[in-house]
Amino acid sequence: MLVLTRKLGESIAIDDHIKIVVVQIKGKQVRLGIKAPKETKIHREEVYQAIHDQNVAAVQVNMDDISRLGEELKKK
Amino acid sequence: MKVKTTRFGELELNPSDIITFHDGLLGFDQLTKYFVVDPGDSTLILWLQSIEDEKVAFPIIEPKIFKPDYIAKLLPADLNGLELETLSNAKLYSILTIPANVVEMSANLKAPVVINSAKKVAKQIVLADSKLTVKHEMYKELKTYIVNFSSDDSKRTNFAPSIALEAGDLRSSKENYARLTNEM
Repeated sequence: MLVLTRKLGESIAIDDHIKIVVVQIKGKQVRLGIKAPKETKIHREEVYQAIHDQNVAAVQVNMDDISRLGEELKKK
Repeated sequence: MKVKTTRFGELELNPSDIITFHDGLLGFDQLTKYFVVDPGDSTLILWLQSIEDEKVAFPIIEPKIFKPDYIAKLLPADLNGLELETLSNAKLYSILTIPANVVEMSANLKAPVVINSAKKVAKQIVLADSKLTVKHEMYKELKTYIVNFSSDDSKRTNFAPSIALEAGDLRSSKENYARLTNEM
């Protein structure tokens, strides 16, 4: 991993169109500003982690539970 | 061809029905070949079954069934690799998580699966909308739907399109995006 040191207000350019600016430093928090083309997907890493965990949970489904679900859903 | 599955036993599969996830799914990066299993039961749940790992099958459902106002707003970049020439070939599914306490079942609305049913390529897409969650509880809505409509098959399939392109974001010069805009 490339590690760069930046001061407040300084930025990093990625390719020709993506710019990341250090907007604010407050205690243990850093606020970053990101300038990128509209089609660039930007998410907090936690979003991917949550989807990852949900996918892993989804395949653990038990077929007995599915049968029970089928019964429950049919009840008026 | 025959495919072994943990949940459904050995299934006969037409190779043309194989769906490729070029990027896999998050947490399952190595698995790229799937097919859809419809057990035809009353739950309306379909399964995205891996061909490469018999244990891996995702329960999926059309989100319109339990959330008629759900619309996945896709960015042009989301379509990369989906080879979509028209949105009408796109099928949208939510992955379900079904715990032992089934009334706590939930759907992942944040990252739906989009399948190009013509080209048989698919992708799990992370939507930008921050109000959508990976764990949207929907047992009650599904039950309401099933109790009211499932006896009538004709009502099942005619949903309004559940995919939209972010109109303001169509800046790409790529030809297929332009074509999509014209159709919308």
